[in-house]
Amino acid sequence: MLSLSREYISFMAAGLGASGLYSPSNDSDMSESCCRIHNLRENFVMADATDTGNPQRKPDWLQIIAIGRNPQYTLARIIVLVALCVFLFHYVLLAVKVDGISMQPTYKNRSVNLVNRWAYLWHEPRRGDVVAIRLAGVHLMYMKRIIGLPGETVAFSDGTVLINGQPLAEPYEKWHCDWTLPPKKLDMDEYFIVGDNRTMPSQNHTFGVVERFRIVGKVLL
Amino acid sequence: MKYLPRIIFLAIAAALAVWLWTVFFPSPEKVIRKQLLSLAGDVSFSPGQNNLVKIAHAQSIADFFATNVVLDLTLPEHPEQTTLGRDEITQAALVTRQQLTELDVKFPDINVTVAPDQNSATADVTVEGNVSGERDAILQEVKFTFQKVDGHWLISRVETVRVLS
Repeated sequence: MLSLSREYISFMAAGLGASGLYSPSNDSDMSESCCRIHNLRENFVMADATDTGNPQRKPDWLQIIAIGRNPQYTLARIIVLVALCVFLFHYVLLAVKVDGISMQPTYKNRSVNLVNRWAYLWHEPRRGDVVAIRLAGVHLMYMKRIIGLPGETVAFSDGTVLINGQPLAEPYEKWHCDWTLPPKKLDMDEYFIVGDNRTMPSQNHTFGVVERFRIVGKVLL
Repeated sequence: MKYLPRIIFLAIAAALAVWLWTVFFPSPEKVIRKQLLSLAGDVSFSPGQNNLVKIAHAQSIADFFATNVVLDLTLPEHPEQTTLGRDEITQAALVTRQQLTELDVKFPDINVTVAPDQNSATADVTVEGNVSGERDAILQEVKFTFQKVDGHWLISRVETVRVLS
């Protein structure tokens, strides 16, 4: 049992050396690292210690719950997690709260969602995507659905969206509206966006043509 | 290793010096940003506010603007209007306070760009306005143009930016 544990410890030490955490330069460092690993894997080696009569301190569960078995590793994990979260929620995802009824019933008022800022790194926005539209920044944005793509002509005829004169199937629109709007030709960097809730008069609904640079990302959920 | 405490001390001292420099000599961006936030505070008013305070705030709004200010605003359901002069701004602020019971204006996003000559700047601002009795907030991107007059940054032009057309 003991020899097996030593093998296990040597294996772990080699692993640490490879990861740069431990360099087996001398024997004293080796013994320190072995102790550390021993503490880390207390449960594994506990049986050996009992067999050989070596007294072992029982793990302090409160300490383990609070800071883990090895505070250094816990600190390293915390730093990595914080850095990851900062990167993720600053550069990749934006947490947003829906304020308003223009995207009902798909997105309810005051619901929380995420915007993927990397969604359009490899392809352009597609029809049907729900996107976040920026104003001067990203603290307050519009949330709308893309129905018209660059170069297309968009019109409304008695509530039906016409793309280049052809009706567009919109399964997400649950409540029929009666909007009638003249055709609008989009430039090559323009998209036509509108909310899912079109029960109000068109004058009271924020929608229209938006330039590509204002599309921040795709709403995830 | 014996130099490590000195290096740390020097780094802290340098960081402190930089921070103090920015406090006593703020950059134009910081000054303009602070000024816009003050403007938002002065434009806002609550129903319980004293009339004298309302008038004082309305008059202080004009201090943010140059004498030859141009307002070019196209708000939803409101006609385009251009007002010249600080007196008109004060008058408009007073009228707004008489017509509305409550107005809460916030600038959640402010992007300031200072011209190379350091005498003019533009600020793209997201304006969020909550009017009493209205369910939805007014959301508008506004561009402020600043001119440096006698060492003070004053707003010389305000124009709305069309996000959706």
